[in-house]
Amino acid sequence: MSTREKNERIELLQGTLDLLILRTLQLGPMHGHAISKAIEFRSDDVLQVEQGSLYPALHRLIKRRWISAEDGTSENNRRAKFYALTSKGKQQLAVEAGKWDKLARAIAQILRPGEQEEA
Amino acid sequence: MTRRKRMLAELDQDIRNHLERETQDNIDRGMSPEDARYAALHKFGNVTRVKEETWKVWNPVWLEQLLQDVRFGIRTLLRSPGLTVAAVMAIALGIGINVGIFSVLNGLAMRLLPVPRAQELVSVNQIFHFQGRGDRLIHNGANWFSYSEYQDYRDHNHVFSGLVAYEPYVEANLRDTDVRQVLGTVTSCNYFDVLIERPAQGRGFVGSDCASHGANAVVVVSDDLWRGKFAADPSLVGKQIVLNQTAYTVIGVARPGFTGTEPIPSAFWAPLTMQQALEPRIDRLSSDNMSWLALLGRTRPGVTMQEVRADLGVIARRIDQQHSGPRRTTSLAIHAATFFTSPEQRSFLIPVASVVLAAFALVLLIACANVANLLLARASVRQREMALRLSMGAGRWRLVRQLLTESLLLSIAGGALGSIIAFWSFIRITQVVTSHLPHDFPPFAVNVAPNLHVLAYALALSLFTGIAFGLVPALRSSRLDLNSAIKGDGTPFGAGKRSGRFLLNTLVGSQVSVCMVLLLAAGLLLRGLYSAQTVDPGFEIKGVATIFLNLEKQGYDPARATHFMRRFRERIQGLPGVVDVAQAECAPLSHDFSGSEFAVSGRADTVGVEYNHITPDYFSLLGIPIVLGRDFSPVETHEAPGIIVTESTARRLWPGQDPLGKALREISGREYSVIGVAKDAQVAHLGKLDTNYLYFPAGTEDDSRSYVLVRYATGFTSLAKSIRDAGRSIDPGVTVDVTRLEDYLEVWRAPSRIVAALSGALGALALLLCSIGVYGMVSYSVSRSVRDIGIRMALGADGAKVMRHVLWQAMRPVLIGATIGVALCAAVSGVLSSMMFGLGTHDPVAFICMPLFLFAVAFVATFIPGRRAMRVDPMIALRCE
Repeated sequence: MSTREKNERIELLQGTLDLLILRTLQLGPMHGHAISKAIEFRSDDVLQVEQGSLYPALHRLIKRRWISAEDGTSENNRRAKFYALTSKGKQQLAVEAGKWDKLARAIAQILRPGEQEEA
Repeated sequence: MTRRKRMLAELDQDIRNHLERETQDNIDRGMSPEDARYAALHKFGNVTRVKEETWKVWNPVWLEQLLQDVRFGIRTLLRSPGLTVAAVMAIALGIGINVGIFSVLNGLAMRLLPVPRAQELVSVNQIFHFQGRGDRLIHNGANWFSYSEYQDYRDHNHVFSGLVAYEPYVEANLRDTDVRQVLGTVTSCNYFDVLIERPAQGRGFVGSDCASHGANAVVVVSDDLWRGKFAADPSLVGKQIVLNQTAYTVIGVARPGFTGTEPIPSAFWAPLTMQQALEPRIDRLSSDNMSWLALLGRTRPGVTMQEVRADLGVIARRIDQQHSGPRRTTSLAIHAATFFTSPEQRSFLIPVASVVLAAFALVLLIACANVANLLLARASVRQREMALRLSMGAGRWRLVRQLLTESLLLSIAGGALGSIIAFWSFIRITQVVTSHLPHDFPPFAVNVAPNLHVLAYALALSLFTGIAFGLVPALRSSRLDLNSAIKGDGTPFGAGKRSGRFLLNTLVGSQVSVCMVLLLAAGLLLRGLYSAQTVDPGFEIKGVATIFLNLEKQGYDPARATHFMRRFRERIQGLPGVVDVAQAECAPLSHDFSGSEFAVSGRADTVGVEYNHITPDYFSLLGIPIVLGRDFSPVETHEAPGIIVTESTARRLWPGQDPLGKALREISGREYSVIGVAKDAQVAHLGKLDTNYLYFPAGTEDDSRSYVLVRYATGFTSLAKSIRDAGRSIDPGVTVDVTRLEDYLEVWRAPSRIVAALSGALGALALLLCSIGVYGMVSYSVSRSVRDIGIRMALGADGAKVMRHVLWQAMRPVLIGATIGVALCAAVSGVLSSMMFGLGTHDPVAFICMPLFLFAVAFVATFIPGRRAMRVDPMIALRCE
């Protein structure tokens, strides 16, 4: 891993992984590996999830009944566990996304005062 | 399978799949298989940690550890079943009896009244504080209310949806085939509505039943009375029954199980306005200064106790201001309504309950010490296990927690078992107790069945017990010298180290001392019982029948009463087998007392003297000799100035002087002079000779309420029947209550007998636990000091010497503990003797026999395991170490 690479990648904030998983699953049920790939891909590889940390997060979401887990068959005909958004999870995603937007706006306002009005 | 279990079971597979996919991706990008696998693992992170993190999502750490501890604890306990069974049994005994006694107290004092939505009911009591001398008439309850006060509270409060007033324990004669007395209640007419108590048949009272005084003779009878006296007559409602000479229409039969709002069941309920009809010539309703009505209010929804206190307090202050006479302030005592709510009842119940609970708690204490002993003994066996775990890095707190979990498992198992036994055996115990009560003792409407209070108590007690006996062993065995322990040659803890032995000895000693206290208390009570059974009351108690007649209650005016009495006594005199007839205001030992204050010439203060009004044949009938002066003559009545005092009274009032002719003055100023001195007899209080007592001659005033004493020479049963017939032949409506004078003695003996039986059982239980404790300690220390004994024997000690050594080691803590126990009991026996009749404070027989008995038991408990020490083969003992 080169130094340049390391600098461009961002450590995830506590709790944001949950939000990303929920958002990712909005696209449809996926297995664990696909979720981590999707997050990396959609963030242009900036967000690098340590893949292992996905699993405690998935279980946390299952426990809260925001997502569910079903056995299924993957694209290459292998058995895998598919995670899907529940209706409760969909509501939660809206709530969390709203919160995130607020937070992001607030932080942006503090960091670059003045720019906000232009935008 | 639960979601949690399924998710965790499939976690491994999920992670494996993930890694394979990532590896495959890497290979697709052109890596070699090894590199691809390595990169995948690198990107994934620490697999074990990920799994742990995921586990934690489902199981909080403490819970997981607790489950671990519990599982491990159960395995450990099952590995030594002997110890486990012994410990559980000891705890079950200790907790069981405590839960049992608590459920009785709970039934008495904490259980809400057995009516719907009982949590809304509050009992209201008032306590007067007078400035200077205040006067208040009291009937039944000093903290109760007058009728006008009740109306004030009822009409002006803002917190109750209804306020009930009632007078309990109204005696009434029910005219019937065999006439008998029942206890009933007069109530305000909202009684059944406020209690939400629908009679099973007919109706409760309505407002119009209380509309005018003495006008509405209606009554609701209890289910018991309906079944017992009216053979469950389905058409009783609408019929008339006669109570104290007045006919009442039955309007309802109460629901089975509803016995009123007092501990003694009520047989009937009549409107408050019928009070004077039931209690002739006593008008309580119009007496504004009499406490006779108990108050129960049902709070409106959402009203708190504070609001009730504040609201009623305002009314109380206004009544105080309007009150004429000496200034007073009234404080209100407002509590959730139970069978024992009034301050008076509580002031009686609380000390009794605390003595009883303390005695029972002592047994639990012995059980705890016992189990702690067992655990300490086992701790030495587990020494290496502990050392190993400590050296592997387990924290000490973690070990203590593990050990405490084990002891809590033991205590909860014991507590559950004990509680089950307590609930199950309780009916039997209640039966035993009630069968020892005198036959006319009123039944109690107390529900002793377990409820949430009792279960919470049992659980709390179990947890407390578990910590009490588990903490010391746990702390000790987690503090180890790792080096010597792990090598296995450290002297076994408890056997070698002085501090360890000291701890064991302290535990045994404290068991013995507590046991000693209980045994001595039991011994004292048994001695008290013995003296109660064999006491000479100082008069001839056998062959005397007593007849109690309350003619006033039965509607007689004084003239009719005198007329009835004269004819009644003539009839009895003429009955075959009757030797002698006398009349008295109070029969001996009848729990019927009268007393007053008298001024004695030559003394500044007044003296309290109990008295009795008697006819002249009283002394000869009871065989009480007149030792000085003369007996009353038949012409002497209330107007006569002569009185007879007892010997000891004469000695106390006029020491060293001739009592004849000495004067006693009543507060009213009336003066009496002594004409005779009677021999002392325990006529008022059994076992007490130090009360001042005098006799007045009886007059016609006594005929309204008095006892007739009959000495007979035939069989009692036939005599009682002919006496009842004699009464009925004069007036068929009159209640004639005939008993043997001896039966009164039973009433005095019953409390001693019940308490002695209970304390005897407690003492036996304590002794059993204690001897197990001594046995356990000795057999443990013998098995631990086999090498020591082997060396002694190898050096020439014989079996007897070894035995002496073992005995001395074991008996030392027993001796010390017993001495402490005797000292403790000597200190507290004063309390016991004040509560129970016939109890000597320092009864020598109890104080010598009980310690000897305890020593004998402890000796046997030592001797049995001690014999093993004698049989130690020195060669084997030394080699095996």
